[in-house]
Amino acid sequence: MQEVLNANAIHDPADRNGAVFGGWRPVMKHRTPLALLATLVAGTAMAQDVSVSTTTIAQTWKQNTPGFSTGTFTPATEYVGIDAVKLGGKDALSLHFYGWGMADLADQSYIGGKSTGDFTYGYLQYNFAQANAQLKAGRFSVTQGIGNEPVDGVSASTDLRCGFTVSAFAGTPVIFKNYSNQNQSVAASQRDFMFGGRLAWHAAKVGEIGVDYLEDGSSPATQTAPAPATNPTAMVYTRRLLGVDMKLTPCDSFDFSGRTVTDVAPLLAPAAGINISRLAEDDYTATLKFLQTFSLAGTFVERNLFSYFAGSTLPSLFNQNEQGMFKATGAKLTWQAPGNLQVVGDVRRTDRESYGTTTRGGADLRYTLPESHILAGVGFHKVNAAQVQAVDLLVPAYSLSHSEARAWIMAEKGAYSASLDAIRLHYADPYLNPSLNGQSIESAIVGSVGYKAKNGAKVSGDLTLEDSPIFGKQTIALLRLEYRFGLAGKGDK
Amino acid sequence: MLKKFALLSVALGLGLMVACSWISPKGSFAPTHPQALEQGRPTCSDCHGTDRVASTDKTFASFNHTEAFISNHKIQANQDPATCAACHAQSFCADCHGGKTALLPSTKLGNRPDRVSPHRGDYMTLHRIEGKIDPTSCFKCHGRSNNETCTACHR
Repeated sequence: MQEVLNANAIHDPADRNGAVFGGWRPVMKHRTPLALLATLVAGTAMAQDVSVSTTTIAQTWKQNTPGFSTGTFTPATEYVGIDAVKLGGKDALSLHFYGWGMADLADQSYIGGKSTGDFTYGYLQYNFAQANAQLKAGRFSVTQGIGNEPVDGVSASTDLRCGFTVSAFAGTPVIFKNYSNQNQSVAASQRDFMFGGRLAWHAAKVGEIGVDYLEDGSSPATQTAPAPATNPTAMVYTRRLLGVDMKLTPCDSFDFSGRTVTDVAPLLAPAAGINISRLAEDDYTATLKFLQTFSLAGTFVERNLFSYFAGSTLPSLFNQNEQGMFKATGAKLTWQAPGNLQVVGDVRRTDRESYGTTTRGGADLRYTLPESHILAGVGFHKVNAAQVQAVDLLVPAYSLSHSEARAWIMAEKGAYSASLDAIRLHYADPYLNPSLNGQSIESAIVGSVGYKAKNGAKVSGDLTLEDSPIFGKQTIALLRLEYRFGLAGKGDK
Repeated sequence: MLKKFALLSVALGLGLMVACSWISPKGSFAPTHPQALEQGRPTCSDCHGTDRVASTDKTFASFNHTEAFISNHKIQANQDPATCAACHAQSFCADCHGGKTALLPSTKLGNRPDRVSPHRGDYMTLHRIEGKIDPTSCFKCHGRSNNETCTACHR
């Protein structure tokens, strides 16, 4: 726990309290996560039901790869989760906390330092018995509408009459540090406030349709960071996303779900000859169930990189100025065969404007024996990316085609458990592709055994054997200690 | 001043009354699934048949954890997080969707090969291929968060 506290005390101010803020804010912000954390932990004392889960993972491996860190790595990672319900005797009031800390016992393995951590979430929640109404305050992950990221703030949601639902959140974003070579203070000052909301409507035989909005940054980017006229998109940090989501379920045998998101942040007028699409994403799936045991899902995805990458904290990699389009269409046929066998066949065709067309197809089988507590699966997929051109400045074209085979099994008997997971990739062009170092085969096998004691403690050990084009042969050992107690938790299904 | 305060209070009170009258009288979705579920992916319609969730009018069949549902679960999570929370603790989501994660999901869950975990094996090699084919699939998890390690090479 102390590791988590320390980690946040170090990590957060560096991210959030840049030189642009006034003198009082760094001090206040410095203490906010600690005060919040202390309040949350102390609050569990008022709960009637508390569940605590901890997972300690220690790993060790040696690495001696040119171009990467070399040495012996022994990181130890501790995850702590607390769920306290019936706070103050009220059924509806609960408190939730989760975080982790990591320390290297030998050489540094993590980019951020030899010890780091994260206060993932910690919030107070009130669930009303009526209308799915809910209030949250603290650090939590926004999942309403377009947003899907941690926020320090408040959120509220409720169902309304006539099938309407409304939800909203507001706060400060937890993650926004911009990993670019540009001035950090500009990006930080624009991401000091974040809010969003969703208004939806649902009806029987129809499903649900919603309108979503997300805004990240309280000042328009164009006012604080004028973009050069030749490149109107270079300095856009503010995110303003407007979307429509839907899940239509007219009958048991058919549903249609997906969303369209557009980027509505203000931009300077683009230079002549530059066309900027504001569509960020179309992502839709239609599923048809037939003959009781079959289902067929078709997907369509379209993403415009400029708008989809809006708000990226890593613009050097997710570059808005690429201005390309990505499209994908796919189908997945699932057969739930008698005897707990599931067979899935899938095919997906993707097209990236700047790289070409790729087709991925294959099948997965999954077998369940509930009485014996055995689960097993096998899968094979082939990726045909032979048409990819101009993928590297040094090599004008090489194939990205490869195949992937996987087999796994896990079993439980009494207090004991075991699993085996093997994966093998075969690359088609090991000599021209500079990443493959002339090696066409990559494989990894993970074996795990575990023992679960009656008091909720579980110990397991994993041994991983890898052979990859980049790292060569590696052996990684892992020891995992899990401990859970209390009544308030849900399953980990 | 007092008059303004009184008027504001009345307006706020009336506004709250009107807003509350709009709130649905239907009961909330069960906070916890009443029965323990078997190991593996649940098929909700096995027990719930053709029923619909009272508060959202969606069919229980649309929550069946099929391959398509799992690969497209973001829509469900965005629309009805309460239905997810009936079986899943928030930490279940954080295994993959934590704002900053220490270990690959497949490493943390190395003893759970049944779970869908990205980046199995040595993903370092494969990411140089998949990143070229579809960078948008990387962006979902690494576009805003979990990208400190990316900067080691992608500066």
